[in-house]
Amino acid sequence: MNCLDCHQADASDVDAIQHEGFTIATIVSPKDCGRCHVVETEQNSSSVHANAVSLITDRMPVMAANLGGKAIIDAGCAQCHGSEVKVKGDGTLDTATWPNSGIGRINPDGSKGSCSSCHGRHAFSKAQARDPASCMRCHSGPDSPDRAIYEASKHGMAYFAHKEKMNLDSDSWIAGKDYVSAPTCVTCHMGAAGKLPSNHDVGMRNAWNLNTPVSEKQYLVMYEDGDKSEIPASQPVPDRGTEHTKIDGSAGKVKVVVTPDRRRKAMRMVCLECHGKNFATSFMDQFDSVVELYNEKFGKPAQSIMLDLYDKGLLTPAPFDEPIEFTYWELWHDEGARARHGAAMASPNHTWWEGMYLVSRNFYSKFLPQVRAVAGDEADVLISRYVSDVKEHHGWLDNPEKGNPILGYGTRKAGDD
Amino acid sequence: MIKFAVPAIITRRVVTALVIAFGSGVVFMLMLIEFDHQTSTEEFCTTCHSMELTASPYRQSSHYMPISGVRASCGDCHVSEGVLSATLDHVMGTKDLFKQLFGPDYDNPVVNNLHLPEAAFKAREWFRKRDSETCGRCHVQEAIVGSRADTAKIHQEDAVGKSCIDCHINLVHRKVPGKETFKRDAWNRMIEEEFGLEPGMADKILKGEVEPPEITADLN
Repeated sequence: MNCLDCHQADASDVDAIQHEGFTIATIVSPKDCGRCHVVETEQNSSSVHANAVSLITDRMPVMAANLGGKAIIDAGCAQCHGSEVKVKGDGTLDTATWPNSGIGRINPDGSKGSCSSCHGRHAFSKAQARDPASCMRCHSGPDSPDRAIYEASKHGMAYFAHKEKMNLDSDSWIAGKDYVSAPTCVTCHMGAAGKLPSNHDVGMRNAWNLNTPVSEKQYLVMYEDGDKSEIPASQPVPDRGTEHTKIDGSAGKVKVVVTPDRRRKAMRMVCLECHGKNFATSFMDQFDSVVELYNEKFGKPAQSIMLDLYDKGLLTPAPFDEPIEFTYWELWHDEGARARHGAAMASPNHTWWEGMYLVSRNFYSKFLPQVRAVAGDEADVLISRYVSDVKEHHGWLDNPEKGNPILGYGTRKAGDD
Repeated sequence: MIKFAVPAIITRRVVTALVIAFGSGVVFMLMLIEFDHQTSTEEFCTTCHSMELTASPYRQSSHYMPISGVRASCGDCHVSEGVLSATLDHVMGTKDLFKQLFGPDYDNPVVNNLHLPEAAFKAREWFRKRDSETCGRCHVQEAIVGSRADTAKIHQEDAVGKSCIDCHINLVHRKVPGKETFKRDAWNRMIEEEFGLEPGMADKILKGEVEPPEITADLN
């Protein structure tokens, strides 16, 4: 391999420059990598990773521009999600958009993604890409707390203790065959395991969407042209062979629809390389139950109340110009995501103390009081309808006299401290 | 005693004429040298206001203020070695003077920048045709050792068949892409953005369809 194998360009390319007598481009896009790595590029090109910019285009102006500013979009959002790289007339790359290794970067050649996001240039180390640290650059912090969750899980515990047995540099890296010590992010989300082939579409095995106000199981629609869409289970799922509108608004012919169950089965195949069937199924049950609990007890009521407040004109449509909008955002986006991710990846601490406990504390002690402040006389109706009347989850509020000796007022028994 | 027979044709007048001719020739050559010297200075070149726009980035470059204290002036790079070549360069260079007087308003930064790429391509071609000989006034290829491991190797092995200018462009003046990768459209859009012009204005200005906006050059 030499420089030109990757950096070669046609003089007509938007970002072509002349360098030491050669025509090259600074940016090596997935299109360039795909000259050799055909399958990987194809798999990634329609993945949720490659669409990381498209997916937040609507949200960015509000979230980052209003609360932050352009500098934050460039140095924050876009460094993980990707920038839309702008080439200036003198051949240089606009400094606001480059350097950038965001995984959904929109490249001058029109391709989406950045292989170097995980496969750091210029070593392209397999070991580095397979190491959870590669994912953690972005998957950490309040909205994607996977770093802390993985580190606190049994899987992470095993990985850090046995890293040298992970065979991270091996050409073949099949869980159960080439390594058994621990799974990394790659193992479960895209790695080969037993008969399950590896896949560079990182979201394929995800049965749930865990980063929405209310989680839904999701169908994966694959189109004839290779594009993909995620369809929440509550929405109509298109049939094979029919036309369907993609996320970007264009039409695509549906080739395959993958049900959430099938996606779950793929993920479960990874588990089965180390765990028994019952173990894996029961773990998934525990995870699903947490997601459903979050949905029913907090996610749906909070969402319904917020929508009603907007409908009634008690809140302005602009997000984040009222305190309760921050409260709600943090409830589902930060705390709620942490609880759900915590359960998905088996960190008890993040499932409860760092997750659902914070959701609960927020919901009862901040969100509902703010609803009362915003809605005034109308608050009681709203809260009864979505909260107090849902006895299964909130019935405990009807028994204010039921004390607890440690957590509140109550009769202490001898021996209690 | 040996006596030289002087041919009858060499009269006193002829000798006088030859002496005068020789003297005039010497004076003329000295004048050319002085002329070439005087017209190669930064001070002379920037008597045309448009050249200030070219000189401004030069004054930020390492050829103007290097740590070594050696300064390359306009003519050091852009005027050939040898009095005849140097004079020819200056004679050819008068076309720039004609363009300045009768061509577009190069003093206007918009016009100047829109025309800059072609000027850069011509200048590079000039260097290439002469195998970058004026670089050799200061730089000696064999002496390029550098402090990094590969510098010497690159300038010996990789440089075979290449001229300095093939790699070393955009050292001194405003960055202009290589001719082969240059895109006029993208360049025009950049200039429009830089000077806050409506998209499409640059093309019209180049065609002479609209007057360029009054903009005073910011030379800092």
